[in-house]
Amino acid sequence: MLQTKDYSGIRAGINAYYFLEVYFLRGGMSVVAKLEPIWQELKALARTFFYTPEKNCLLCEKSSAEGEFCLDCLEEYFYPELPRCVNCGKLIPKEQIKCTDCQVGKGPRGLDKVIALGYYGGAWREFIQNVKYKAQPYQLKKISSFLGNFAISHLPPPHYLIPVPLHQERLAERGFNQAEEIASLLQWECGIPLYSPNPLQRLENTPSQVGLGREERLQNLKGTIGFLPGEAEKLKGAKVWLIDDITTTGATLEHCAYELKKIGVKKVFGLVLAAGLEKRK
Amino acid sequence: MHFNLLLDQSDKVHIIPSQGEIPEGDWEVLYPGIPFYIAQELLREIDNEYSWGSKRKKRNLFRRKKEAMEKSTIKRKILSNLKNHPSLSKFTWQWMSKKSLKETKEEEAEKVKIPTSMEEKEKIKVDFLRRTEGRVLTKGDLQRLGQESNLSYIEILKLCQEQVNEGKGEWLSGLERNRMGWRCQRCGETKVEEWISIYGRAATCPSCASLGSLSSLNTLYRSLNNQNKATNENNGVSRNNTSRNNTISRDDVVIRNKFNEVNTSFAKSKIIFSPRWELTPAQKKAAEEILSFVKSEEPQGQVNSLFEKGFQHKKGFQKEILLWAACGAGKTEVCFPAAAWALNNNQKVLFAAPRQDVVWDIAPRLEGDFPNLSLGVHTGTSPQRFTPSQFVVATTHQILRFYQAFDLIFLDEMDAFPYYGNKALAWGIEKALKDTGKIVYLTATPSPESLQKVKRGKMQLLTLPARHHGHPIPVPQWKKFTGNPDPRQGNAEKVIKNLLPRIEELGKAGPILLFVPQISWVNPWVQLLQEFLPQRSIEGSFSSDPNRREKIENLRKGSFQLFVCTSILERGVTFPRAQVIVLGADHEIFDERSLVQMAGRVGRSRECPTGTALFLAPKTTPAIK
Ligand SMILES: [Zn+2]
Ligand SMILES: [Zn+2]
Ligand SMILES: [Zn+2]
Repeated sequence: MLQTKDYSGIRAGINAYYFLEVYFLRGGMSVVAKLEPIWQELKALARTFFYTPEKNCLLCEKSSAEGEFCLDCLEEYFYPELPRCVNCGKLIPKEQIKCTDCQVGKGPRGLDKVIALGYYGGAWREFIQNVKYKAQPYQLKKISSFLGNFAISHLPPPHYLIPVPLHQERLAERGFNQAEEIASLLQWECGIPLYSPNPLQRLENTPSQVGLGREERLQNLKGTIGFLPGEAEKLKGAKVWLIDDITTTGATLEHCAYELKKIGVKKVFGLVLAAGLEKRK
Repeated sequence: MHFNLLLDQSDKVHIIPSQGEIPEGDWEVLYPGIPFYIAQELLREIDNEYSWGSKRKKRNLFRRKKEAMEKSTIKRKILSNLKNHPSLSKFTWQWMSKKSLKETKEEEAEKVKIPTSMEEKEKIKVDFLRRTEGRVLTKGDLQRLGQESNLSYIEILKLCQEQVNEGKGEWLSGLERNRMGWRCQRCGETKVEEWISIYGRAATCPSCASLGSLSSLNTLYRSLNNQNKATNENNGVSRNNTSRNNTISRDDVVIRNKFNEVNTSFAKSKIIFSPRWELTPAQKKAAEEILSFVKSEEPQGQVNSLFEKGFQHKKGFQKEILLWAACGAGKTEVCFPAAAWALNNNQKVLFAAPRQDVVWDIAPRLEGDFPNLSLGVHTGTSPQRFTPSQFVVATTHQILRFYQAFDLIFLDEMDAFPYYGNKALAWGIEKALKDTGKIVYLTATPSPESLQKVKRGKMQLLTLPARHHGHPIPVPQWKKFTGNPDPRQGNAEKVIKNLLPRIEELGKAGPILLFVPQISWVNPWVQLLQEFLPQRSIEGSFSSDPNRREKIENLRKGSFQLFVCTSILERGVTFPRAQVIVLGADHEIFDERSLVQMAGRVGRSRECPTGTALFLAPKTTPAIK
């Protein structure tokens, strides 16, 4: 499996080796002992230069030549061939533009387009839940280029990225807002500025949305998202991507979009990691 | 689970759980609550400033005592540290006095049911002490403990904090960081995943996630409550532990006595040991040696003659002994007399094995030989319980849930996956064992590392050569076998036709275990065999099979005549009259050790001590020889 990528890599590896060699000769054992962790790091670094790292699918751990996800998982969770409901982001059958809910006006209002990266089920759902509930936000960076490519090929370029805010209490417990983590990945990957500080603010702790219908959720959310004073002027006429981890009824996205449009944001495009899947009947 | 800094009337800073009870007195609390790790760091910073300040006044050598800081100075110092912190400066910090807090806390207090009598309070505390003894608990565990003992989460936190105040329990952050980097406080892992939280740097341990996710923002509660009192490693927050110790009330002494009384009551009702079979002379000898090792307090000098030459046996108290027993020699039973002695001397005993199957195999055997024993069984799939038990049987991973809990640990198949080469579990065993405790390693195939340890005199060695019924291990027969046994290749039917006479022949002697090298072969082979042998009961299983436990239970009962499996059954599971066929024995996955183990499955019982092991392969490999 020894595959040399290019010669600069080898050179860097050799340099790292010489660097250590010098320390070995000069330093004696105590320094060597102290350098042990650095040595391990450098060895790992050198390995990345000399070997092509074996790529495994992030969801099923099968080795995958395709990149982050193997072909099976791509088909099972991301359906690259299927369109997304323009109104709520759901994965829908070919030749359809809106999902059945949105066709009869039961979808979220006020967003210019919403897209979901994948279908919220199985291993992809587990991946997102591990990020949120098992303190694994670091997993997200593994999907950054996959997500970035998807986003720029489905949405027009915005002025800013704005993550959906998280309840204060949950943020304190979890230590991070997953929507903000996703947004900062896109900032890095696509070079779109992340609006900071987040102009959207949770005003109070909303009861959990689980088990509520769309109307109830909207009612539940009323007056819970506010706008950071002083930021309104700068966002007037802007196009933004509104980022969240998942969407079920679209109520949260709708509510945020409503607040953004109220202060004069021109276009709000929703981007989420996962949403529902509508099968052909 | 969040914590607050509390400044008490004598100007000392403590860390208290946000949801717990705030003690009586004139104090102030810093809000909002933060993860324990962050609170610890803040406290450490203040401590450092103390000592730095006194260093500057070094001229006066005799002035060792730290200058007490004024309450207002401490408050100001903490706030200014927070203001300069890259992440924590975003929060709105404030010191709140008892008066301003009283209302909110009273509301909460109403939700907590107050025990009516002293007696009830005492009962609750004793029960809590017994359930948490020697344990490491996460937030989830504490919540489950609450449900189990019918207490609210807040009450549980209160009980924990009481122990912490007395120095008999401690809060730990899930992961801690020093100059070398992060370390998981549950499994000792140092290769962790780092990320940035709203509090600054944070990390998550990937290694022990199977026990519930753990990050530096989580807190562990660790009981320090046992007879051999553990040393408190946690110097950073020692102030937290010692400061309020001096006011242990009389009630408390009563409770502690009660606790000890209940605890020793294990010993009072004598543990009955009634082995259902007699040991062979070789087993008896080994059992006696293990017993004397367990009893010993003085150094012992027995070294196997093989290694005696040229190696000086180290004189000194030995904590470890290695029992090298031939496959099927009955090494488990050899441990029982020593375990019985330990139990009757009020010791806590753990029997740990790497695989669930082995745990489920040993538990009923223990229950049979120790009829009045309260046995605790811990595996990844059994629900976590806190019922106190003097004898615990567990998979090796579960050891990480214990701290200074056992006087005697039997570690079965120490060289088997996943223990072999797994640093985290070695670390876990070190933690779970009391300082004065001892370990007995049991193995059929010792690793070079453990033999090295014996050679260096770090560990005693005991050998147990014969099989327990006196019959030797069957010499496995190698049969030349052409045809590719891979079921996905076309000629599996031809292979099966060659195989049928062998199955007929072996089937007369007992149920057949058919080992295949790959998981993906199991189900196709079960189907093929069912097709060709419809009159027989045929099943198969593999390590990730969700019904594995059930199937193996049935196998043990004798429900199947033919059982297809990967190497899952290779270690430690016994059942009568078994015959063995290894398909594709030349496959690279079967090394010498696993082949010996598989052959060792044959005929492991008194009624039918003989049996056949067939290795089928087109050619021999060094491993087969
Ligand atoms: Zn995959
Ligand atoms: Zn829709
Ligand atoms: Zn760990």
